[in-house]
Amino acid sequence: MQIHPRAREYPDSQFSRPIRDESELTAGVKIEPGKSYGFFTDTTRCIGCKACEVACKEWNALPADSVGLTGMSYDNTGGLSASTWRHVAFIEKIGHGGGRATEMAPYQSNWLMMSDVCKHCHNAPCLEACPTGALFKTEFDTVVVQQDVCNGCGYCVPACPFGVIDVNLDDGKAHKCTLCYDRLKGGFEPACAKSCPTDSIQFGELAELHRRAAERVQELHRLGVESAYLYGTPGAPGATGGLEYLNAFFLLTDAPEVYNLPRAPTRASNRVMPSLLSGLATMAGFAVAAVALFAGASRNGR
Amino acid sequence: MADNIQTYYDHPQLKPAPFSWIVALYVYLAGLSGSSQMVATIADLFGGGRLRSLVRRGRYLSLVGTVIGPVLLIMDLHTPQRFYNMLRIFKATSPMSIGSYILSVFSVFSALTGGAQFIFDRAIRGPWRWIARIAQVPAAGAGGGMSVYTASLLASTSTPLWAASPGWMAVRFGSSSVASAGAALALGERWSGGRGYGRKLDALAVAALSVELYAAHLSQRDYQTKGVWGDREAAVWDSIDALGGYLPLALYTAGFFLGRRGRTLSEAASLATLVGGLAMRLAMQYAGQASASDPRTSLRFAQPENLPRAQS
Repeated sequence: MQIHPRAREYPDSQFSRPIRDESELTAGVKIEPGKSYGFFTDTTRCIGCKACEVACKEWNALPADSVGLTGMSYDNTGGLSASTWRHVAFIEKIGHGGGRATEMAPYQSNWLMMSDVCKHCHNAPCLEACPTGALFKTEFDTVVVQQDVCNGCGYCVPACPFGVIDVNLDDGKAHKCTLCYDRLKGGFEPACAKSCPTDSIQFGELAELHRRAAERVQELHRLGVESAYLYGTPGAPGATGGLEYLNAFFLLTDAPEVYNLPRAPTRASNRVMPSLLSGLATMAGFAVAAVALFAGASRNGR
Repeated sequence: MADNIQTYYDHPQLKPAPFSWIVALYVYLAGLSGSSQMVATIADLFGGGRLRSLVRRGRYLSLVGTVIGPVLLIMDLHTPQRFYNMLRIFKATSPMSIGSYILSVFSVFSALTGGAQFIFDRAIRGPWRWIARIAQVPAAGAGGGMSVYTASLLASTSTPLWAASPGWMAVRFGSSSVASAGAALALGERWSGGRGYGRKLDALAVAALSVELYAAHLSQRDYQTKGVWGDREAAVWDSIDALGGYLPLALYTAGFFLGRRGRTLSEAASLATLVGGLAMRLAMQYAGQASASDPRTSLRFAQPENLPRAQS
């Protein structure tokens, strides 16, 4: 990545005030309301350093989870939760299927690493399920919970097809990645993307990220990583069932299930009308039966 | 069907709904009181004035959902002091929102109907009977909604078991609600010494239980084809079918053939219907939450062959 010409205006190593439109210098994109922003997480570049997890916790003042070892790979986080909005998954390919791997694939040796995050779905099931309007689409086309509105009904939790959003039982509200809504408003790149040392997490305008991702897949195919594909772009796995596309999408090199991602998630609200209408039709049927029964009662009873 | 799906160290792929048993109890009471209101209203409008005791009991029974329902729902919120935010907006994509309004309409008109009935029963002069007769119509309509919207609530999630068979689950919930209402009102009729309409209500319960069993059978076919079916599920649903379906049906049949002497059997059938309805809702909730916590089930369910054809 080239250094932005404006960077020369800030030669100091310490700043007394925020840099205007800092994201232009760090991510090469100016953040403006009304445009679509997202994350492109390129797992072939991930080195599993978990800087994104730490940066997210720091910026969003999220508490630590259980401090301990899971005993499964280097992943001691486990998964996304109300207080963990970035989660680095580690999948060791050695020993899978009973036998040891005898050769190394290009990139990442035999480790797959992926920094998981809220997908900020285009048709977000959590948002569609939220009865209070606490979940909303921001001016940056991201999905955020308004903490002062959420009443902790928890209906967004089973609505999410990715198991992302969760209710924190300590404060009784639903929480998930905000795609650093506060930082975007101030012209800053989200904390995880800014801290990522390998640019595995890239923040930007969605159209530009799609273009960059398609190019990266081609490049990887050329380099011999034929298994590379996108997850969450229009028409790809992860963007199925009416979700259309995910604002936070991924480049993967193995089956989605290996990363704990659903291959064909669905939009829960598509089931509202089928279930409601068949239920009401059932009740209408029983109403007619009851009319017949009781009208008969009045005639025979006399 | 993709078997032997690889998981991520068996870590859950979905999060189960953070609902406690309170929600299952609400789903049950909402169906019982909603269907009672519907049955009572139809008995009042079409019964030719011969079913007064049934109408009165149905109206009082619907107050159970009116009074206890909202309390249960607020208890299950994780920030209960903000319960009023449920009516802050209306969202047609959210059965939780749709249901909040159904419950509100049902509560207001059921309270009006039941309240007017209560005053009328005390022989206080006034248009009480007519207030009840008018208010019962919207209450009965909302009561139909109360009986089934809870199925839509569960189905419109990503929880595999709930999402696998949205239509048949709604038929199950609706018919189970009607069966519960018929059973409860028949018990009321028999326990208060009335001998008029117990059989009619038994017939309604038998019809509803039969529909419920058939819908359960069809939903199980959906579960099997969509990969959310295993030994555990089979054991759970076989017991639920037996307890809440075949047992009361057998008791109703025996009670019918024994005539007057079968009264105890009919009462036992009503009780089994009521217990079975609650057991079915509890099983649906807990088995659903278990299906969400099991990554093999959820990853198998989220396969392209399970997508609705128009959207794949």
